[in-house]
Amino acid sequence: MINRLLATTALALAVSLSSALAAETDVRIVLSEDLDLLEPCMATRSNIGRVILENVNETLTEYDTQGGGGLRPRLAERWEQQPDGSWRFHLRQGVTFSDGSTFDARDVKHSFDRAMNSAMTCETPRYFGGMTVTATVVDDHTIDFAADPVQPILPLLMSLVTIVPEETPVEFVRDPVGTGPYAVTEWTPGQQIVLTRRDGYWGEQPAVTSATYLFRTDPAVRAAMVQTGEADIAPSIAQTDATNPATDFSYLNSETVYLRVDHSVPPFNDVRVRRALNMAIDRAAFIGTLLPEGTEQAVAMFPPTTQGANPDVKPWAFDLEGAKALLEEARADGVPVDAEFTLIARTENFPGVTEVMEATLQMLQDAGFNAKLQMFEVADHERFYSKPYPADRGPYVLAAMHDNNKGDPVFSMFFKYDSEGRQSGVSDPGVNQMIAEASAATGDERARKWSDLVAHLHDEVVADVLLWHMVGFSRVSERLDWRPSIATNSQLQLAQIGFR
Amino acid sequence: MPLSATDTIPQEPGALRRLARMLWADKFALAAALFVLLVVVLAVVGPMWLEGAATRQNLRGRNLPPFSLAQGWLGVLGADALGRPLLARIIVATRNTITIAAGAVLFSAVIGTMLGLVAGYMGRAAGQVILRLADVIMSFPSLLLAVIVLYILGPSVANLIVVLAITRIPVYLRTTRAEVMEVRERMFVQAARVMGASRWRIIFRHILPVVLPTLLTVATLDFAFVMLAESALSFLGIGIQPPEITWGLMVAQGRQYLQTAWWLSVWPGLAIILTTLSLNLLSGWLRIALDPTQRWRLEMKGRRNG
Amino acid sequence: MFGFIRQRAIASLISLLGLVVLVFFLSRLTGDPAALFLPIDATDEMRRQFREIHGLNDPLAVQFWHYLGDLARLDFGDSLRRARPAIEIVLEAFAWTFQLAVITMAIVTAAAIAVGALAAFRVGGLFDRIASVTSLVGASAPDFWIAILGIVLFSVTLGWLPTSGTGTPLHWILPIGVLFIRPFGLIVQVVRGSMITALSSAYVKTARAKGVRSGPIIFVHALRNAMLPVITVIGDQAAALLNGAVVVETIFGFPGIGKLMIDSILQRDFNVMLAAIMVTALAIFLMNLLIDLAYALLDPRIRH
Repeated sequence: MINRLLATTALALAVSLSSALAAETDVRIVLSEDLDLLEPCMATRSNIGRVILENVNETLTEYDTQGGGGLRPRLAERWEQQPDGSWRFHLRQGVTFSDGSTFDARDVKHSFDRAMNSAMTCETPRYFGGMTVTATVVDDHTIDFAADPVQPILPLLMSLVTIVPEETPVEFVRDPVGTGPYAVTEWTPGQQIVLTRRDGYWGEQPAVTSATYLFRTDPAVRAAMVQTGEADIAPSIAQTDATNPATDFSYLNSETVYLRVDHSVPPFNDVRVRRALNMAIDRAAFIGTLLPEGTEQAVAMFPPTTQGANPDVKPWAFDLEGAKALLEEARADGVPVDAEFTLIARTENFPGVTEVMEATLQMLQDAGFNAKLQMFEVADHERFYSKPYPADRGPYVLAAMHDNNKGDPVFSMFFKYDSEGRQSGVSDPGVNQMIAEASAATGDERARKWSDLVAHLHDEVVADVLLWHMVGFSRVSERLDWRPSIATNSQLQLAQIGFR
Repeated sequence: MPLSATDTIPQEPGALRRLARMLWADKFALAAALFVLLVVVLAVVGPMWLEGAATRQNLRGRNLPPFSLAQGWLGVLGADALGRPLLARIIVATRNTITIAAGAVLFSAVIGTMLGLVAGYMGRAAGQVILRLADVIMSFPSLLLAVIVLYILGPSVANLIVVLAITRIPVYLRTTRAEVMEVRERMFVQAARVMGASRWRIIFRHILPVVLPTLLTVATLDFAFVMLAESALSFLGIGIQPPEITWGLMVAQGRQYLQTAWWLSVWPGLAIILTTLSLNLLSGWLRIALDPTQRWRLEMKGRRNG
Repeated sequence: MFGFIRQRAIASLISLLGLVVLVFFLSRLTGDPAALFLPIDATDEMRRQFREIHGLNDPLAVQFWHYLGDLARLDFGDSLRRARPAIEIVLEAFAWTFQLAVITMAIVTAAAIAVGALAAFRVGGLFDRIASVTSLVGASAPDFWIAILGIVLFSVTLGWLPTSGTGTPLHWILPIGVLFIRPFGLIVQVVRGSMITALSSAYVKTARAKGVRSGPIIFVHALRNAMLPVITVIGDQAAALLNGAVVVETIFGFPGIGKLMIDSILQRDFNVMLAAIMVTALAIFLMNLLIDLAYALLDPRIRH
């Protein structure tokens, strides 16, 4: 019996040692949640994108968030706008899929049509809302995309459409085939996904030979795994665990935390009350205490690395007396500033959300607001977040976090500020007009129009209470040459990983 | 073997004094009784007494380590992530914690025991129906029940008690039934039946007293279970949420600081452990003190000590 | 005997059906899965389509009728989120949980009966005190403390065990160690309690009076009598484990049914939720049947 036990233990040790001694160019990445799907058209969802985007399935264009390089070619070598407003993409030649078939314009058309097909519930249609886009194959290596109305950022939108072979069925697949440098070689749901470097990739061969993705919900365990060598990268660990400067790095993670205010509900229909909300919160006091060092005060719904950010807009200064005075003034005019309202937040929204919201609540109360706090789980929170807003729950202010790493404000502004926006608290024809104009503009003019809108919303309309651009932490084994960036939330390109 | 004949000695002191003496004889039980008394007192006066101190935030004093009197005596257990003194928070949280735990345990124990008595003693048909009902409750995930109740009715202490009580009913039901099935075959029950005692009289006068000690043990252990279950629900974002506080919620919130500021979750966890331990020691003592055939253990000791 | 089992099977089937009805209708009152699956800024059209594809636009009664029809053909439907048959996902996870539960309960039962019975033999003695207090502290300590502490000590500091995951027997040690503690504490208490009662009951005294001096004989007699409530508690604890050990599964990355159940409830993945509940319910019903059979074996007076 004891002998058998010893033998088993020895075997176990041997197995665990051998796996630890895998090729030095193999990496293990520990993620926070298991993947429910491995479907290419869902790659815009961060948990899926981090595994397959640009590793397995590539896109025509690619937005360079970290290098400031803007939009770069990937499977399309170049593109131009035709006189009729449509866009022509010239595709890279000599590219093959991991199943051996050759990449051509028909694959692109199929990928787009498939992702937009209503028989599937891909994420893609959300980015093409309010327009009709038709793809037309010109020849094997040329494809036209015609949008109605004309779409100035169509090449940017193409960075969100992953390319699959023409033969891919119109249903969710479990074995994605792509043109990327890696192919999925193993997927054991709940346990691991293995990507292996493949021969015949059109680009430069990356250094990493294979990547194993593991899933652990607990951030402390993820951090421990890199420490013990069971993993090489933990893209997201807790601030409290990020204690080793040699392995732990912070990065701006493209998430923005804000309080959504419904302008149609008193007392928030009064701009003075909204100003008072903004002045009552000491944003700076949170940074370095409840929120990590490196967190930035927000003046817009999208991170400052985005085209259209406005560096001239200054965050609201903390001014308790000013807030009280404004409330007093509003009260004198008969605004019901003493009415109780609820500050609604979501549990697990970001690390330390409960403490942050309790501190926010206290600041609001100190300024004279009659506020209480209510935390909800995600489905409950959603009822308050999206229209139609519940009318029977009294006035409320909703804390939420919004992610825009796509490189253009359009992915935020319509939803959050247009009268028709699903999570908008604003109903202002002037704002609607500005959103429509900026969305239709191109180049520098586009950036300027977005900047103007940011200033208008922040200073004149006082649309909401923008709080912070958040940071995340990664732990990276010292044997790797890799740093997290603002892109890490949505993708993790294995090709960018080097070895020391 | 000492006889329980001591009961008939004429100068026997009053029942209360005798209990007190037996409690004095068991120092562990005495300490436990004092602790439970303290908890009850704090549950009554805590919120009125320290509400202000427990909610006042101080971002400069966040995660202050324990065993320092720099922040006054309330700071002796350290401070939480918002600089609020943990001692004050634990005291204020006592009321919610005890209300939820006691409420859930009481309701589930009473309902579960009743159903268990019926299932064990009454006819087979009734027993089967009740047991299959217990099967259904046991297989219904408590989290789902919590999500349903709290989504539809909204989170509140009362709703949480309902959720936790329902999920714990089968434990008492099944334990009671198992004991009843054994007890009802015993001589004295058979005798009572032959002598024409009514069903309910047999159940309440003859069977319940025999079953009660085991149920008491289960109930005191369930106290801890309910407190931790409440903690787990809070952690998943269902159940009690800040700014309300309970020990379970404090434990759940302290989880992320376990390696950097252990005191955030260890003190409230310790409060849960100590309360459970005290209740259990007390129930163990009560079990002996109330059992005529066991009582001598305490009385002997009391005599020797006193 | 077989009559009893057949009767029980029918009764359980009715319970199962009741459970399905309850879960089906109640869970659908708790929000729209489309809102959780689709991105927050998805269009109304996308939401409508999602509901259409998954048959969520029909009236509840129609949905239920379809579900029952599929169920009759053992089709549990597809997961709303994973685009796979729900039952496949559930059985994969249940296999892991089942192994974990069986191993843990075997160890717990043996250890708890031994410790609890020994403690009861000399009530108030040193062993009794130590056993009671340690088992109680274990049973009332939050399990994530023990889990994190175990990882910090055995994996990070000592480097003896892997932090988490599956693959080798070594991976099982920490999860089982953590799962062991609570049921152990509980069962020790119940064994000790019933043993005290049993040891002071009439027939043990009779045996002693008749001159049976030998400890083991009395011990075995008393233990046999004390087993009824103990088995009940063991059953309840095993049921709890079969429902999944959420903390252990989340911390150790163990792909069991507890985490799956929680995720499916929080994400309103109805088909997975229902399949998971049915599978665990079936396991629990079976276990309760075994427990009732054990009662009859232990105590011939209880007849069915």
